[in-house]
Amino acid sequence: MAAGSLGGTVERLQAGFYSMPTLFQTCGYTSKPPLDYETLRDVIDLSLWAGQLLLQSGAESQQVEETVHRLGTGLGCDWLDILVSPNALVITAISDGEFRTKVRRVVNIGVNLQVIVEVSTLVQRVLAGELNRQELRTELVRISRFQSGYSRWTVALMVGAACAAFSSLFGGDAIIFGITFLAATVAMLVRQELQKRYFNPFITVVVTAFAASSIAGIASIFHLGNQPQLTLISAVLLLVPGVPLINSVQDLMKGYPMTGIARGVTGAVIAACIALGLLLAMSLLRVNGL
Amino acid sequence: MTAFDLLKMVLGDVLWSGVAALGFAVLFNVPKRLLLGCFLCGAVGHTLRTLCLNSGASVEVGTLIGAGAVGFLSVYLSSRFGVPASIFTVTGAIPLVPGVFAYQTVIGLLHATSATGSQTVDFLSAAGLNGVRTALILCSLAFGIAAPTLLLGRSNPAA
Repeated sequence: MAAGSLGGTVERLQAGFYSMPTLFQTCGYTSKPPLDYETLRDVIDLSLWAGQLLLQSGAESQQVEETVHRLGTGLGCDWLDILVSPNALVITAISDGEFRTKVRRVVNIGVNLQVIVEVSTLVQRVLAGELNRQELRTELVRISRFQSGYSRWTVALMVGAACAAFSSLFGGDAIIFGITFLAATVAMLVRQELQKRYFNPFITVVVTAFAASSIAGIASIFHLGNQPQLTLISAVLLLVPGVPLINSVQDLMKGYPMTGIARGVTGAVIAACIALGLLLAMSLLRVNGL
Repeated sequence: MTAFDLLKMVLGDVLWSGVAALGFAVLFNVPKRLLLGCFLCGAVGHTLRTLCLNSGASVEVGTLIGAGAVGFLSVYLSSRFGVPASIFTVTGAIPLVPGVFAYQTVIGLLHATSATGSQTVDFLSAAGLNGVRTALILCSLAFGIAAPTLLLGRSNPAA
């Protein structure tokens, strides 16, 4: 609007810019029909949404970039440039020289692999031409609202079993197995309660580690089982930041140093929080963890 | 070690590492139809590592071999089920994560702060060593599960 007061100079410059052949046209990249203003806005919004769902569910950076790129070009853009940052996503979508850039803040809300499966299925269906933009939007709304496929008790018991399985792998006997199972299951229930009340994730880790090691310390106090300290190690394994740490190294190797470093630091802080919770419990119970 | 002992050890390893992967798969909300694949990935990776350790390899090399197997198995399973390979690599990697070394690192550091005299140095050096091992195992784990992408999925970065 303000440009009009300059006697139309800006409009003429813009017109000249947009009439120039773009890099992709000169390279013979594109044969797609140009998207109009509204469509391009819709496409970038949908791509950003899909990318946000992936990033907040624990996908690695390359996966986010590739999926968003395939979705955007599948919806009719010539090209998409995606910047994956640890807690934001920046996307520029290009169609026939017209481009749009949009930033979205992303908060990591924990690993949810079902979201990653569903988003990747959506992209496959878009590329196969089975979904239009309206249907894609409906599906994205459904995925965003979707909670968990398992009841909280199923999750708690399975996590307890997983930690108990670790104690067996480390050479613990049946008593160690039982105590670890109890400690990890209760700790997982505590964690779910704290998460439900939106506590800070690091505080959640400290309190959960405290709960797990307080119960696991029973074995050391009463000298139960063949190696009592194994319960302490195994019961806090449910908190070990495996996914952030693995994603960190993978991002570093695949050329995303910024997200790689950020995820590594987050993993280290979580490990420190586990240690804090353990230390509190061990000093209260006067148990030695090594 | 007799063949029977070996069999017993392998079966125990398969069972417990598979259950560990399965538990974390449920925690990560993996769809039910993929749970068996997650069990398999966890079991294969950890059992291979145990066999490597048994035949005298270091834990880092064993992790690399186990994680590489998880990586290639995940590619097969992902094409079979039509889902991203990362579903299987993430859950399959969980039993291989150096949780115990990380635990010993932080507990060692905590002990070092409360120890006196030459004991402090002992705890600190042990914690440092465990920290380095944690990092090395993590690197070989990540390289192993990313091996199919890194070795087979190459593209010209300048194009």
